[in-house]
Amino acid sequence: MSVGGVRWFKARLQGRHGAVPWLPYITYANLLKKENVISSTGSWMLHVTPYAVLGSNIFLALVLPLVSVGGSLTALSNFIVVAAVLLLSSTFLVMGAFDAGSAFGGLGGSRAITLAALFEPTIILTFIALVLATGSSTLDGVISGQVMVGGLLIQAPYLVLSWFALMLTALAETARYPVDEPGTQLELTMMHEATVFDYSGPYLAMLEYASALKLTVFVLLLANLILPWPILVATSSGLTVFSVILATLLKLLVVMFVIALLESSIARVRLYRIQEFLTSAFFMALGGVSLALLSRLI
Amino acid sequence: MSLKEFLGNVLGLHIQADRSDLVFASVPREKFADIIDELVNVRGLTTQLSMSLDVSGLVGVGLALAHLYATDDRTSAGSYGVHALLHDDTSQTWFLLSTRLQPEDLSYPSVTRRVMAAHWFERFIQDMFGIEAVGHPDPRRLVHHENVPEGHFPLRKDFMWNAKMETADIAYPMPFVIGEGVVEIPLGPVYGGISEPAHFRLNVAGERMIALESKFFFTHKGVEKLLEGKNLPEALTLVEHICGDSAASHALAFAQAIENLAACKVSIRAQSLRSLVNELERVTMHISDLATIGGLGAGYTLLSSQGFRLKEQVVRLSDELLGNRFWRGLIVPGGVSRDFQANEFQKISIVMGEIIDEMLDVVSLAIQSDGLRDRLENIGILSKEAGLAYGAVGIAARASGIDRDVRRDHPYAAYGRFLPTVPIKVTGDVYARFMLRVDELKDSQRLIQELCKNPGEGAHLMPCEPKDGRDLGAVENGRGEILHLVYLKSGRIERYVIRDPSFCNWPLLGEIAPGNIVSDFPLCSQSLGLSCAGTDL
Repeated sequence: MSVGGVRWFKARLQGRHGAVPWLPYITYANLLKKENVISSTGSWMLHVTPYAVLGSNIFLALVLPLVSVGGSLTALSNFIVVAAVLLLSSTFLVMGAFDAGSAFGGLGGSRAITLAALFEPTIILTFIALVLATGSSTLDGVISGQVMVGGLLIQAPYLVLSWFALMLTALAETARYPVDEPGTQLELTMMHEATVFDYSGPYLAMLEYASALKLTVFVLLLANLILPWPILVATSSGLTVFSVILATLLKLLVVMFVIALLESSIARVRLYRIQEFLTSAFFMALGGVSLALLSRLI
Repeated sequence: MSLKEFLGNVLGLHIQADRSDLVFASVPREKFADIIDELVNVRGLTTQLSMSLDVSGLVGVGLALAHLYATDDRTSAGSYGVHALLHDDTSQTWFLLSTRLQPEDLSYPSVTRRVMAAHWFERFIQDMFGIEAVGHPDPRRLVHHENVPEGHFPLRKDFMWNAKMETADIAYPMPFVIGEGVVEIPLGPVYGGISEPAHFRLNVAGERMIALESKFFFTHKGVEKLLEGKNLPEALTLVEHICGDSAASHALAFAQAIENLAACKVSIRAQSLRSLVNELERVTMHISDLATIGGLGAGYTLLSSQGFRLKEQVVRLSDELLGNRFWRGLIVPGGVSRDFQANEFQKISIVMGEIIDEMLDVVSLAIQSDGLRDRLENIGILSKEAGLAYGAVGIAARASGIDRDVRRDHPYAAYGRFLPTVPIKVTGDVYARFMLRVDELKDSQRLIQELCKNPGEGAHLMPCEPKDGRDLGAVENGRGEILHLVYLKSGRIERYVIRDPSFCNWPLLGEIAPGNIVSDFPLCSQSLGLSCAGTDL
């Protein structure tokens, strides 16, 4: 949904008609009908990767406070666990890419792991800042805490830095502009696309769905950090459920539009400048943590 | 001192003039490479002379080698011919230097040792005629891949065009780099997008390309062979289909060669229409290239979605005027196949004016983006020296400070009356090639307006009876200079030589790409804007 939506907004912004936003679902359905073609040089890693990647992203979607807070799995949304699961999914993706021994898989894999090494610390730092500011070690607690007190950014304005850092890393993590180019057909410039080069059929559908899921997860997480309400609490009534779903869709739409606007108005950065982009994200995150620590001392 | 005097008095050649701007000389094969070397590289003889004789306009200040080709004249002369075509831009003259080889000993001292621009030409001749250039630094096969057996030379007269060959397995070595962390990435010939078949091997250390090897001619169709024995209308059809985006320029080069040969007159109006179509084709090509470089290569998507929309409008204009989307079918020997009415000129002028304005708006918006400029600047640099050495033509040459444009240097069609301005860039990077196209687009807009306003009078088509002999047609299109050499014998084609700009410019990729990072490779190749159809003749 999120991927198709961004594509549709992007087409509209560029003056094209654009494919229907639910096209990715049709693609997944088509891919599921096809057979898996597995490289003859691949090992079991190729078979494990799609399950591991999809599994970790489903896990994230379940435990993170996206639509509801205070569910039974929330204890798992400890910030270290979340960061580790993110890294687990990218590690599997990269190992799967290297496994078949094709040149593009290797190229994409080496790029992806280099990037992961650059943005993982930023994600952890961002989470630390959130944890320091709210005193809760789970992301669920971070969000549900602010539902009560009325907005995290109002309560702790210095977290704007952390929020921006998280947004920049989210763009890198979900392989969007300006780091990666999701629509490209040029093999040499690919990053995420090159890591799934050797998959086909249902496995490809799983990997594509996993990456779309990741985009949705990050979009909602970012939106909830700014604007947590309305969000489902364990005791909500039927009417609130409806309004929460509506609000969630609205949040998705707004962020999809912002991403599409971004992707239509800038060129992709040169590969060797990505680290500048991610370094600025890192320093923003560092600033967020320092200020959080400082505010606790005072 | 004119080129003719220089060749005659200084080099002691016996000069014959086919036309005022095409001179011809024949030399023994031992002297062939030496004379080309003298003319292109300005060796001692010329320098001494220019010092002792105080003459202005002395030629020999570096003629450019435009083409090197062979002919199989065993039936008429009992020998093979190897011919070098050089052009002298200062005196607007073409010089054809020939040498004859006896069938028993098909070899001559290689030109490439001294004039690097000949490197692919000599390998082409070696594959097609079995003529050996002794001392060629890279005598590998070029057109023939592994599957062509030894001893088959398709352009010899005794090779039937429909001959079936056994499938062989002969080595086609492609050098590569070995070292710690050096990886070879194969690319193509089958691509994910709609792309012509070319095979590249990128040797990379990390993200940095350190060497590039390429292999072309996957779709070699044998156009030069197929043209032999055809009459002129048949030949025109084939020539128009050499390369989809330069149909009009190839047809124009063909028509010029035939007209030059038979000294046919073409009316002013027909000349204007030819220039007009030449410019319209250039605009089509430039819009498409700008959209490809900025949109697909650098990922500035607005440029590709708008650029391809505008290109579509141009090809629809072609469809409306000519009944096809390729500016095909207008140019014929003796003039043009149909005249345009006043309202059609007006329509072209208005529609093209709007399209180009809109494209320039999009481009100026795009280059204000720092991100885009950062992607285009300082990558894929072609130095002027390298450009001259490789014999670069067209956009690639002009973006590196090589001031050469057939429209101005050897005026044809209406370019004598409507002078094109030839923009030059000196940085030689992808950005220079991008901006050069923008500048040429502006100039084409002006030329189209002027040509539509004042197309001149005259019959659009005049009779043109073919005459036997040999002549040359040269056209500059959006990619570079197109040369056609036609040999006619009793009204049919004896030998047809096509030199597409892509053939000269593909080797440049091996010069500009190494040193850049892998993800900038598409930008390097797109900025040259080359076609495989033109190369894989």
